[in-house]
Formats: sequence, structure tokens, C-alpha cells
Amino acid sequence: MEITEKKRILIVDDSFYMRTMLKNMLLDAGYDVVGEAPDGKTALQMAKEKIPDLVTLDVILPDNTGLDVLKGIKQDNPDIKVVIVSAVGQEVIMNEASEYGALNYIIKPFSEDKVLEALNQAFKED
Amino acid sequence: MKSREQEYKEIFVAEALEYYDALSRHISELEKTPEDEQILAEIFRLLHNLKANAKAIGYLVIADVSHKLETAFGMIRNKELSFSDEVVTVLFDGIDMLGELISNVDGAKEIEPSPALLRNLDIIINTQTDNNTELNKVQKYYTSKNLSLSDLIYIQIKKLDHLLNLVGELIIDRDRIVSISKELDNDDLKNVSAHLYRITEELQYSVMDARLVNVGSLFNKFPRIVRDIAVAEKKEINLEISGQDIQIDRNILQIITDSLLHLMRNAISHGIEKADVRKKNKKTPQGNIELSAQNDRDTVILRLKDDGKGIDQQEVRKAIVQKGFLNADAVSDLRDTEVLSFLFEPGFSLAKEVTEVSGRGVGLDVVKNAIDSIGGRIKVDSKKGVGTTFTLYLPTSIAVKGALLCQVEENFYAIPLMHTDSVLSLPTEKLHEVGNLLVTDIKGETITVVHMRELFNNDLDTYNGTKTALEGDVQNIIIVTYNNRKLGLIVDKLLRQQDIVIKSLSRPVNTIDIYAGVTLLGSGKVCLVLDVAAITRYFIARR
Repeated sequence: MEITEKKRILIVDDSFYMRTMLKNMLLDAGYDVVGEAPDGKTALQMAKEKIPDLVTLDVILPDNTGLDVLKGIKQDNPDIKVVIVSAVGQEVIMNEASEYGALNYIIKPFSEDKVLEALNQAFKED
Repeated sequence: MKSREQEYKEIFVAEALEYYDALSRHISELEKTPEDEQILAEIFRLLHNLKANAKAIGYLVIADVSHKLETAFGMIRNKELSFSDEVVTVLFDGIDMLGELISNVDGAKEIEPSPALLRNLDIIINTQTDNNTELNKVQKYYTSKNLSLSDLIYIQIKKLDHLLNLVGELIIDRDRIVSISKELDNDDLKNVSAHLYRITEELQYSVMDARLVNVGSLFNKFPRIVRDIAVAEKKEINLEISGQDIQIDRNILQIITDSLLHLMRNAISHGIEKADVRKKNKKTPQGNIELSAQNDRDTVILRLKDDGKGIDQQEVRKAIVQKGFLNADAVSDLRDTEVLSFLFEPGFSLAKEVTEVSGRGVGLDVVKNAIDSIGGRIKVDSKKGVGTTFTLYLPTSIAVKGALLCQVEENFYAIPLMHTDSVLSLPTEKLHEVGNLLVTDIKGETITVVHMRELFNNDLDTYNGTKTALEGDVQNIIIVTYNNRKLGLIVDKLLRQQDIVIKSLSRPVNTIDIYAGVTLLGSGKVCLVLDVAAITRYFIARR
């Protein structure tokens, strides 16, 4: 049996509850959660330090808007994949986000299936 | 599965209450500076999170109210709605409503949001200004409400410790009063003392209950810790956790935290093999570790099981001789369980390589001492090539312990039930003198038996077990266990089982202490609590 390298994920969300749920889902699915950021500043710093394979990015954050974080991450390292996590009613942002290189989006409240599907798709492009 | 849901719920409520407090603060600020974009953005963000979280967990009413408020604040941000007095009132009401809904998600009766308030919210977000009369109705309803504080309080564990100590003192006095009332044979006094008994018992359990926390509060830290250690050790670990709902005294959990962490480090760095070795041995490349908790009457059993390389009995036997604990003959007589007990001896370590995370010179003896200090037990089972299991038996509560009372001459002694194995009456002829000690054979096992009357009347070092000192044809023996080793105690009389409150003993230095503390019996008699660990250690060494 081959051990495949676990994909390393950074979770960016200002709600501890959302982060916990998302983290558990990802860990259960065999991903490695390398960090959790509650705001844009921490997110950018962690993305730089931990160089995750993928970032799940909430679009409404206490300091920056998610789009600024997205731009920042892509500027520092265009290889990091970003999946937007956003609530119903924010779909408009997705158009703009995909311009900046976000690969997929997850609508809150999310089901485990949806989350894993979005991530699978994002990684498929490798 | 259930425990994770419970955890989610607790996180949701704690975070939602924080949001609610922040919302209340911000909306008051906003009233003073209605143009403050930053505050508006913050309120919007909080409501947005609350809505999303509530939807995710399934509290749809909270999600709905948050959504309406979020919409209203979104409109205020976009200048589609003015922050007028009437609107402010509705928004305040709405936020208060949210607070109430959040505090009551666990409540027995479900709270319905006021329909008038919901209608008002709808009115302001639909910007139909023709319905102002209705807006006023709710205002009265809500402004007449009392201030409400959270149903949950944080309390310093120090205060609970103090409370528990007081309860301990109270119980001792209570038992004394109950006993006196029996002697005086006064009906009134008997009634009152019976009532006192029930109340203090309930008080004791309430205080003990208030100190209980879920084992999960410690266990849930492990997935992260295990990941970090596994990464450092370049191993893959699959961690299974169960029994997070089991409850235990907070201080006991605190005391064993380092021990559990130590055992976990050991399991990962010394127990679990590298992936290539595991594959060679037909194991999954990931090491499996199970961390579980379960209840057994008054005991909480924690178990840490790995499927690593296990402990090599022969190596341990060799080490026992090399480190000078026993000579080769004595070692060959040891049973496997006894061999493993030596792992807990100070200065006994099998680790050959020192790694970043383990092998810091802290041995299993430190773990054992921590568990002894709270009156618990630890056991290790291991099979070479198959894995190792550590089992911790912990009392649920620290204050009150079940104990077996016995009598030697005029004095009473208590032995914590955690350490009692069995009680038996043995014909005197079955006891034999070996060296200066008495031994007997129980189910094929040679057990040292201590004649307690001689022990109490002598110093430990001058104690000799002789058959001539024994009186009667039959001896009452209590078999105690400590670290997988058994010891028999000959007492004059077996009394009963009883919950006791142990008080520490001010003791003279320079003597090996055979007492763990003292307790008072209902009769007012002082009763010494035996330190089974110390006594067993002493006699095993002497043998």
C-alpha cells in the first residue's frame, strides 16, 4: 500500500464554530489541517509560513475582506489553491473571486459531501 | 457521534453568546455614532456568522432572526434604511430576542420569538413606511423586560476546592451527630439527624457533581497533539477516541494530563514502528492508537492502546537484573505481569534512543506517582509485536473514597477500595515463615502476608512475621494490590465498607510512612488510612 502525501489545508474563517466543523470534516476525510486563521492578517501570515496546498477562505472577515486575502495569497504564492466559503446571498462575490484565481466555492451552511466535492475538484486540476 | 454533536452545540452556544454581547455593545455605540462604517461592518459580520452557524447546526429560528437583522443592517450600510429612533428600537429588540433564543437553545421549553417583533423586522426591511403604528407595540413589551444574565457562570476551581473541603468537614461532624443521636435515643434528635444525613449527602453529591467535567475536554486536545508528534517522528498515526462524555473530577483530570501526554508520546515514538517496519510485519502502515474512557461504578477507566511493537518481556527481565533490582533467579520466578510492573520503578527506562519528543528523562515512575497521588491505579499489558495497553483506574472524585474498615487491637484502620483485591479467612497452618516474613500460597501465587498487629507494634525495620505471634486457628486477611503486586494484611476484625473523607496527616519525618491520612468515624474515633502503595513497595523490596 502506498502512502499518499496528505493534502495540507489552511482554514480561514472568523467563526470558531465553523472552523471546528470544517476542520473535523477535513480531518475525517484524511486531509491535514495545517492551520486555522480567524482573520485576514493571520491568514496571510499562515499562508506564507505554512504554504498549504489549499486554503478554504471565508469572504467576510473582521479585518480584510476575503477578496483582499485571496489577492494577497495569490500574490505571494500563485500555487496555493483557494476555495471560497461563503453564505447564501454572497454568490456575486464568486465572480470576482474566480477572476483572482479562486477555484471553487462552498455555500454555508455546508454539508460534508459538498465540502469534500469542492476540494476534490480543486485538487483534480493538478 | 453524539459527543461531537454535543461539542458542536457547546461551541455554537458559547460563540453565539459572545456574538450577542458584542452586538449589544456595538449597537449602543452605533446609536451614538450612527455613521460609523466600521461598527456597521462589524455588526454585519457578527450577524452574518450567527446566521450561518445557526443554519449549520439547525437552529432555524435563530438563523431567521439573524438573517432579518443582517438584512436590516445591510440596508443601513447601503443607506437604504435610516437609523431612526423607531428602527433603532426594533433592532435593539431583535438583538435582545437573539440573546434570549441563544440562551435557551438548551432550555426545557422552546422560546418562540415574538410575532410582533418579527413583523416589525419585516416592516423595516421591506421599507414600507405606512405601518408605523405597529412598530410601537413591541417596544413596550421589550423595554419592560428585566435584565437577564447568562445561566452559565465561570467559577474558579479554587472556590470549588474550598467548598469541597467544607463539605468534607461537615460530613465528619454529621457522622458524629448521627452516632450521638443513636446513643442518646432521643426521637426528635434522631429525626433531625436523619434529615441532616440526607441533606449533607445531597450537598456532597451536588458539590462533587459541580466539579465534574467531560473527559472529552482533555481527549479532544489529543488529535492535534498526536498529529504534531507523529509529524516530528515521521510516522502516520490513526487515533481513535471514545468515551468523551464520561465525567470526572476536574482536578483529577488536571493531575493526569501530563501522564496521559507522556504515555501518548511514548506510544508514538517508542511503540509505533516506522511504516516500512510495519509493512514488513504485515501491519497497516499507519499506527493505530485508541484512547478511550469508560465508567465502572465509582471508577473512571482510561485506556491507551497502541498496535506497535509491544514490550519485550525478555528485555525487561534482563534490565531488571542489569539495573540491580533483583537477581537473575528471582527474575526467572516473576510472572509476566510482575515483570511489566518494573517499568514503573524509578530509574527504570528501556528507551535506547532519545528523540525530540520523548526520552526526556521522565520515566513511567513519574506517571505512576501522579496516579498514586489521587488514589488511582495504573496497569500495563503488552505483547511483543502486537502492542501495548496502559489502563488507568481513576476515582471519579477526590474528596470521598470508598474504603474497607478493619480493626487491629483497639484501633480502626481504613483501606481504600481502589487497592483491595479480596478478603479471605485462611487457616493459620497455611501460613509459612520464609526469612523474616510470612507467606502463603493463593491460587498458585506466593503472597507475602503482613501481620498488622506486629507491624503496628514495631518499626517497619524491626518487624518480623512469625507464626508464633499469630492467635487463633483462622486469620482474617485482606489482599491488597499495588502495581500488579499482591500483599496480604492480617487484621483482627473486618468491619464494613464506608465512604470516608481523608484528611492529610502531619507526620514525623525520617520514617517510612505507612499511613496515607486520617479520617474520623461517626463514633468520633480516629481511623488511620493505610498507604497501600507504601506498604506494598516496602514489603516487595524486602522480599
